[in-house]
Amino acid sequence: MENDVRELRLAAGLSQRELAEALGVSRQTVNSIETGRYDPSLPLAIAIARQFQRAVEEIFHVD
Amino acid sequence: MSTDRSPIVRRAAAAAAVYVAGIALIIVVGLLLQEHGPGNMGRGVLQGAAVGTVGALFMLWRATRRPPHATTFERAWTQTGDERDDAVLTRALAVLGLATLPITSAGAIAIAFGAPVEMVLVLLLTTQVVVGAVAFVVIARRS
Repeated sequence: MENDVRELRLAAGLSQRELAEALGVSRQTVNSIETGRYDPSLPLAIAIARQFQRAVEEIFHVD
Repeated sequence: MSTDRSPIVRRAAAAAAVYVAGIALIIVVGLLLQEHGPGNMGRGVLQGAAVGTVGALFMLWRATRRPPHATTFERAWTQTGDERDDAVLTRALAVLGLATLPITSAGAIAIAFGAPVEMVLVLLLTTQVVVGAVAFVVIARRS
């Protein structure tokens, strides 16, 4: 999966640590999601979408 | 005083309870081995358990008191991590489980060819620890 988490995070002016705290995960998890090395579970993907007030499919795309 | 504790503290408390039960079991086994086991096996078990316990408690302290500084390994093993930490640990344990069958088979064949049983058992345990550690590091870096 590809995603726009990094772009959305930077646009929101958040650091990886701040986003991680908002989502209740570790900074490493946010980094892994942004680099495409880890695909989040559906609950976490929905939490990310809610954080940026977008739909899940607007943030995550199939390769 | 509030009794509402956060999930991370509750999970850490549960992990601590498991550690305490494990320590109690190891002490009993160690004392029995010291009495009935060969050579200095009992002392080795107790010393190894002491070192392991100190390490485990240190990891638990870091994971609960300094979460931003804790590593994936510390969070995963103390059950204080997130879904990725759990996934890394699960996959590493799966690799270890798969590797255990051929490793144990090799040990059985070595014993059949006359290798000393004690040496084979020590090598078996050491190999499993190494396989688990390497699997964890590789999977954590790739995910």
